Amino acid sequence: MSKLSIVSIALSFTLACGASYPEPTQRMADAQGAERSARELGAASQPKAQLHLKLAQEQIAEAKSLLEEGDNKRADFVLSRAKADAEFALALAREQNARVEAQRAIDQANTALSASPSQGAQR
Amino acid sequence: MKPNRSLTLFLVIVGAAGCASTPPPLELVAARTAYERASRGPAAELTPADLHSAKETLDVAERSFEEDGDSQETKDIAYVAERRTEVAEARARARQALRQKEQVTAQMRAAQAAEARRTAAELGRTSAELGRAKQQMATQEQQLQNERQRREEAEKRAAQASKDLARIATVKQETRGIVITLSGSILFASGKSDLLPAAQAKLNEVADALNKQDPNSTIVVEGHTDSRGNASLNQELSQRRAQSVRDYLVSRGIASDRVTAQGLGSAQAVADNASAEGRANNRRVEIVVRPAPASDPYGSAQ
Repeated sequence: MSKLSIVSIALSFTLACGASYPEPTQRMADAQGAERSARELGAASQPKAQLHLKLAQEQIAEAKSLLEEGDNKRADFVLSRAKADAEFALALAREQNARVEAQRAIDQANTALSASPSQGAQR
Repeated sequence: MKPNRSLTLFLVIVGAAGCASTPPPLELVAARTAYERASRGPAAELTPADLHSAKETLDVAERSFEEDGDSQETKDIAYVAERRTEVAEARARARQALRQKEQVTAQMRAAQAAEARRTAAELGRTSAELGRAKQQMATQEQQLQNERQRREEAEKRAAQASKDLARIATVKQETRGIVITLSGSILFASGKSDLLPAAQAKLNEVADALNKQDPNSTIVVEGHTDSRGNASLNQELSQRRAQSVRDYLVSRGIASDRVTAQGLGSAQAVADNASAEGRANNRRVEIVVRPAPASDPYGSAQ
């Protein structure tokens, strides 16, 4: 085994351990931004969205602990999960809002049609 | 280097065997299941980009599993793949809901527009009917006015004619109309029905007066005799005399369809036939002017 090979393996091992893994500041910002958006869109008021919002929040907290411990790599992966959960909570909240809008439109249409003189039974 | 190559080959074989025998982590199984479900659902049509992104993440997870087995990284990546798949599905459902909203809104607007068109058409019909009714009322009012004017003129003419007639004959207003009585002795020789020359001059004046009457009035010329002689002959004579007077009046401009002749013989005596004077009074011609029936200005509307 050449010296170069030994150095490469050592470097890989070092990176794998996370010692020089860059701090995932962007990932943290992304995860926190997604979590905030989900909250603002009302994810906390819908059970399933609330669950994933909570998971995201817990994972962000866990990532912060990992960062304090210097485990940047693990924190990065945990933040990936957090961001994925927050985005899912956001999508669920948007879906819920779209359903509410659709139902409101249906109710309005029914009201309008029942109020229309040409729909009246006594006409 | 030979021992090193052998070692590397050994590690690769052991690694591959390890992956092949290691069951996939639950996260990867869930991600695969989620993707299978989503690719058959509405996300495939409505959010293909999101679904594609989820597939790419799933592929990374699969490669990670092939290379590292059920490592924490494989589990994390698979977890993210599953969430991304679920995001694609949720966004697809949201789009379906929004599409439904748009369809319902469009249908409602179309229904409202149709209702507005129906209302406008109904309003148009009502306006047209109102216009027709107004026009009809105006026409009837005009007809009424015309009729009133015609009657006034007819009354004036009748009054003037009556004055004129009063100078030349006996004129009476009876329920059957204005009755102009001409003595038979002035008009005809005894037993004859040809008009005497003097009678023609008299009838000229009568015709002039009648021509001033309402042109819509009708005239009946009645011939009367006294009771002497054969009743049947008297009847015939009275008919011929009435006809002579009628024809003469027509020749003087009275419309032929306005005037008719009727012989009544001695049936309607106005004086005692026992005396010469009474018989002279009974021998007569009566011209009855019947006013035109009042026209109904509203008749055409009903």
